[in-house]
Amino acid sequence: MANTFKSDPIEFKPAEAKPAPDSTVGIVAWMRGNLFSSIPNAAFTILIMLGLANVIPDIIDWMFISSTWSGANQDACVGDGACWVFVKAWSQQFFYGSYTTDQIWRVNLSLILLFVVIVMSFTLPASYRLKVSVPLFLVLPFLCIAILDGRLVGLEHVNTDFWGGFSLNVLMAAAAIIVAFPFSFLWALGRRSDMPLARSISVVFIEFFRGVPVLALFFMGSVMLPLFFAEGTNVDKLVRVWIVLIFFMSGYMAEVFRGGFQAIPSGQYEAADSIGLGYWQKTLLIILPQVIKVSMPNILATFVMLFKNTVFLLIIGIPEVLQTLLTALSNSNWLGGHAIEGYVFVGVIFWLCCFGMSMLASNIEKKLDTSHRN
Amino acid sequence: MFKQKTTEQIKAATRKTDSGSHAFYNNPKYRAVIYQTLLIAGLAYFFYTIISNTLGNLEAAGIKSGFGFLDNAAGYDVLMSLISFDSTDTYLRVFVVGFLNTILVSIMGIILATILGFIFGVMYFSRNWLIKKVSVVYVETFRNIPLLLQILFWYSAVLATLPGVRDSLSLGEAIFLNVRGLFIPQLVGQAGSTLVYIAIAVAIVAIFVMRSWAKKRQDATGEQFPVFYASLGLFFGLPLLATLITGIPFTVDYPVLQGFGFRGGITVIPELMALTIALSVYTGAFIAEAVRAGIQAVPHGQTEAARSIGLREGKIMSLIIVPQAMRVIVPLLNSEYQSLVKNSTLAAAIAYPDLFNVFVGTALNQTGQAIETIFMAIIVYFALNMFISFVMNRFNNNVELVGR
Repeated sequence: MANTFKSDPIEFKPAEAKPAPDSTVGIVAWMRGNLFSSIPNAAFTILIMLGLANVIPDIIDWMFISSTWSGANQDACVGDGACWVFVKAWSQQFFYGSYTTDQIWRVNLSLILLFVVIVMSFTLPASYRLKVSVPLFLVLPFLCIAILDGRLVGLEHVNTDFWGGFSLNVLMAAAAIIVAFPFSFLWALGRRSDMPLARSISVVFIEFFRGVPVLALFFMGSVMLPLFFAEGTNVDKLVRVWIVLIFFMSGYMAEVFRGGFQAIPSGQYEAADSIGLGYWQKTLLIILPQVIKVSMPNILATFVMLFKNTVFLLIIGIPEVLQTLLTALSNSNWLGGHAIEGYVFVGVIFWLCCFGMSMLASNIEKKLDTSHRN
Repeated sequence: MFKQKTTEQIKAATRKTDSGSHAFYNNPKYRAVIYQTLLIAGLAYFFYTIISNTLGNLEAAGIKSGFGFLDNAAGYDVLMSLISFDSTDTYLRVFVVGFLNTILVSIMGIILATILGFIFGVMYFSRNWLIKKVSVVYVETFRNIPLLLQILFWYSAVLATLPGVRDSLSLGEAIFLNVRGLFIPQLVGQAGSTLVYIAIAVAIVAIFVMRSWAKKRQDATGEQFPVFYASLGLFFGLPLLATLITGIPFTVDYPVLQGFGFRGGITVIPELMALTIALSVYTGAFIAEAVRAGIQAVPHGQTEAARSIGLREGKIMSLIIVPQAMRVIVPLLNSEYQSLVKNSTLAAAIAYPDLFNVFVGTALNQTGQAIETIFMAIIVYFALNMFISFVMNRFNNNVELVGR
């Protein structure tokens, strides 16, 4: 067939591609497609726009334009806007509580140590990452306590009554989740175990700490826990709360780990068995690294929950950031009604931290999604 | 560890287990027994120490353990109670008052959170860019701010700035909103109103009967019955009919400004408002996320298949997408509802008299019966969570994939 054509075939020249019609590109087209695609859509768009136009200028005006940024006390706040002087004056309290002012470097040091250890656990070469960062993590809470307390390392002693502010929220949450990690792992193993007694004890433990309101746990920590120790033992308030948070956290994390264990294909267990590994070798060398990897997004989500829950400490009178804010609001020099400024400030700090972590979690999840399905 | 072992050693080890000449402690069966015995012994010792310490401490503090204190007069008043209460009533009555208040805030929170969650969850799939962004902003804002902060914000930064009693915001002189709370009219039943309540009950039963009849008929003949409109008609028509027949046996009790406050009607105290708003907005953000996840879990092919067999868009949503999405949503809803009930204990921060606040807070302070009060409160929260779990699991069975 082909050779019946003329000897010099006409070369096929596609016509130049025409630009897309004006109605499908550019901002107008985008608006037509996404904002005004139908009459109800257009109505909603206009409604929302009107609402935003009503609210947003006022908010911007309150926050930035007619707000007061500099000054020493609330007399400086004369405008209608926000009185950021309030936040500025109390910022040290908000971040560090009543920690001795010239010792604040110790709090900073603890936070930096925490940051360094976290970064190391991501950046170290994979060959010895776990071997280095796991012990570091486990030592960290106690090291931070030693630094903050000061007695053990020969620094000025700062009583736990003076610890507070946002740094306490961060350190408390970190210390709780780190210590809860090995425990929750054990509980998860117990729940999957073949031994009926071990299994039922784990189930009861996990369900208890998941089913009870956190506040009840804190009350137990502050009212019942002292009863449990032998007479005369005086356990520090923060330590009691720490214990409660560890138990609470290990209940939730155990369930996260259980999900992780279930996500590991049984072939991995069988392969480990077939090369003759014992139970702990199999669990620690083969399964655990995979479980941690798979459940990382959920671990982060649980951590965000714990971090938000550290605010509950105010109910039992621990001066974390929100308690500090309440103290500041009832201070006789600042009775000008700065509640909104204070709540906005603390809310924004928490939002930045929690949103950042959930972004991180969803990033990790996306990365895992490609590599670990089937 | 394992790395240092040679193949020969492993073989030797394997052979040893095969030959059967091993010590009893290498037998997994015996090992399990030994481990569990140790575990039980450890646990028993742990509890023994705790209990003996506690008893010793209680004795030293002069606190008599037991539930006898429940019969004593409480001697304090409760800010709000659904049943009559005064300070001479017993601690048991305090417990009931707190329990009812917890139930009230939980039910209101669950209903509002579900509505908010479903609205914002579905809004995420809007083709309108702005609506979608509104949904994203709502979820990301309220999910990432601690609930307690939100409760305090609503209570002391929003509701506390409402106008005073004399300058109340009012809606048609019937509903008033001021710094003391929300005042709404109350419907008071007169003689004959029982018939209306009966009519409501009959209507609900009739709706269920009609639904199962319609389903049976559709399965048998393929004919459809307008169940939704018929239910709507039954639910509103029957009570309305009863009301008219009995000659409208209701009077409306409007709140009226008298002196320094309002009288009559129903008063919603600001504590309850703040707690309900904060709980439902916070949980609503999580439910919206669950709804989004549920709808996203339904493959797009389902929509296309439904279109190809000629279903209308509304029917596609209600018959194809939602039933499948519910399979993902319901278990998530279950845990969100449970956490809402648990989070309602944060009422303590703004002194809303829920179970935890009036019983574990005040009663514990007054009597020193730490173990008993906390124990009773915990049992209640467990029971509530189990109830939610039970209901949601029943519901889940309905929406679950049925293998044929």
